[in-house]
Amino acid sequence: MFGQRGRMNVRLFILGGLFLLAGAIVTGRVAYVQIARTDYYQSEATNEHFGQQEIRAPRGAILDRNGYPLATTVDAYDVWINREDWQDDDAGRKAAGFIGPIIGRDPDELVTTVRQQEDGLYLAFGGLDFEKGAGLHDADAPGLRVVLTTKRSYPEGDLASTLLGFVGRDHVGLTGIERDFDRELGGVPGTIYFERDSIGNRLQLGSERVGQKPKPGGDIRLTIDRYIQRLVEGELETQLAQTGALGGTIIVMDPKTGAVLGMASQPGFKLSQLDLNKPVDQALFRNRAVTDVYEPGSVFKTLTASMALDLGLLTPESTYVDEGAEYIGPSTIRNWDYSTNGPVTVTQILQRSLNTGAVWMSRQVGAENFYGYVRRFGLGQATGVGMDGEPDGLVRDENDPSWSEVDLATNAFGQGIAATPLQVTTAIASFANGGKLMRPYIVESMDTPEGRREFSPVVVRQAVSEQTAASVADMMNQVVEGIPGHLAAIKGYHVAGKTGTTTEATLADGAVKNGNVASFIGFAPTDDPKMIVLIKLDFKEDRLGGQVAAPVFTHIAPSILAYLGVQPEGPQLVTTP
Amino acid sequence: MAALHRPALPAPRALLRQRQSWLVAAAAVAVIVGAAAFQVNQFSTATSTSYDINELNRIRAARQAENHELEAQVASLSSLARVDLDARLRLGLVPAERKLYIQVNQPSPRKQTLPTRFLPTESSGELPPQEPLWKRLLHVLPFF
Repeated sequence: MFGQRGRMNVRLFILGGLFLLAGAIVTGRVAYVQIARTDYYQSEATNEHFGQQEIRAPRGAILDRNGYPLATTVDAYDVWINREDWQDDDAGRKAAGFIGPIIGRDPDELVTTVRQQEDGLYLAFGGLDFEKGAGLHDADAPGLRVVLTTKRSYPEGDLASTLLGFVGRDHVGLTGIERDFDRELGGVPGTIYFERDSIGNRLQLGSERVGQKPKPGGDIRLTIDRYIQRLVEGELETQLAQTGALGGTIIVMDPKTGAVLGMASQPGFKLSQLDLNKPVDQALFRNRAVTDVYEPGSVFKTLTASMALDLGLLTPESTYVDEGAEYIGPSTIRNWDYSTNGPVTVTQILQRSLNTGAVWMSRQVGAENFYGYVRRFGLGQATGVGMDGEPDGLVRDENDPSWSEVDLATNAFGQGIAATPLQVTTAIASFANGGKLMRPYIVESMDTPEGRREFSPVVVRQAVSEQTAASVADMMNQVVEGIPGHLAAIKGYHVAGKTGTTTEATLADGAVKNGNVASFIGFAPTDDPKMIVLIKLDFKEDRLGGQVAAPVFTHIAPSILAYLGVQPEGPQLVTTP
Repeated sequence: MAALHRPALPAPRALLRQRQSWLVAAAAVAVIVGAAAFQVNQFSTATSTSYDINELNRIRAARQAENHELEAQVASLSSLARVDLDARLRLGLVPAERKLYIQVNQPSPRKQTLPTRFLPTESSGELPPQEPLWKRLLHVLPFF
């Protein structure tokens, strides 16, 4: 810096100063990047070098009341093919020849289909068995991408298809229990961070870290018993085949708790034949026992009778003189068989299912009391069973501008009122449990992210008094056992029941305008009911509930009662020492 | 008179100094090479361990999948449809024409066992053991 004889060299000084300045700038910049903006650049580097992937949580199982799995999850693989890699004829055919037999597709058809894709990846097979998929995963076929996934497995086959519902390709519940409890079943997905290369591929030998562990979905235990469910589904299918019914519903419930033990509906769908890639009638996915309304018909007469008894207006022995017709203004109400029966008791009104007697009872009760009791029995409002799509039903009371006295008359024998099969079952069940309206429920317990949640029976209200309920149960028993040769009578058990027939009904999702609904509802044993069963069958032509629905009860009730451990009475029982 | 001249340094001292320089240089090279080799060894070990972990994770995933598959198979084998089919085809059973109810003074048969995954878990009421302090500190570091 100093020239000869110590004189400062200005140019060197300036150069030195410039170097110093540059060094200061660089140092300052380094300090800014590495100290002041550490977090920002660290995250930028992380984003550049690390990718993240969602780890799907295993979906929970759906169990029956005894813990037998109705729907569970197994591991599987989705097989994807990269179209670009199959542009080369040899490579594509060779790969297709290897992949095709494993996934059950013709190699030539597979090649053609892949090449028809516009771009990107083509899903050749979704949900391939884990073992086969693992074999493909280890193979090095060009264009092949095998992605680990899960799929639903149904150990009981098509049992309770409509009730269980199904999941979509993204493993989200779309119908039924799968949808209504998707949050509990789906769990919480996790995240994994992995080292990736410049084009985003995961480095096999790179580091990875689980950011958030996936929380497995919880299991849901239903009140459904798989044995009873299979029994009622099989019987319903048999009835449709033998009687030519368009559809139907069978519900089995514990009347004291409201737990649904079995629930079958047709038309429906089968889980084993479900193909969401094809157009399908979505109406088949409905759980018709919960979503579809109908006019209960003569079954409703038990409710009308209970109103009169509960108000103390009538007793089972009170007498009515049946002249074959009741007149309300210009309208005439006749019995279903156009009969005239003379003096009959209230019990006999139910036994002979007299429309005229029902109209007479409703007149004793009065419109205000009548509709008050209709609401107390839960009609005109959803039961709160917790399943999607449940309607309120239709009850037009005296406050409705379009209501007239004729409505009260027709409502008395179950016409002009629309209710779901589940609502009707719950209402009649009150006669089997001391007069309580129970809230029906299908889920017994479930594991949620917050912990296990169990459901207990809920008493909605006391619909009628205990004494009234006992009296009506006794009358319903007389309906079955007081008529010789009643088709709902079962040897060894005391049955209480009532038939119902509704004409001019709209059926088959509106396709049939003047159809017929034949039904029967019964519970047994009368003195200590363990089950209540509703059978409802839809016909195009006129069919009587007593002829087609009541026999169904005799087909299934003995098996259900024996399964529930209810001993029959009488000489059939043989006791060993 | 002879000019004074400094006597030359004794040879051993020079050699000693030279030897010391070589030793220092060799030690420095050894340290550098050792450090480099150590780093290479660490990286190699980490890489192979990472590979082993990936392989073990793959095996674990395969075993879990196998477990789930076996659970599903157990459930399918105990399904009512299969039992019914087996009863009809293999055992030749038919629906009963007449039912007799016989009361037997024996305990009822044990219920069929289910995969433990489907059974309600009983909590012991005890809190899970806490991780040791050194492990908790490691979680603070990146990539642990």
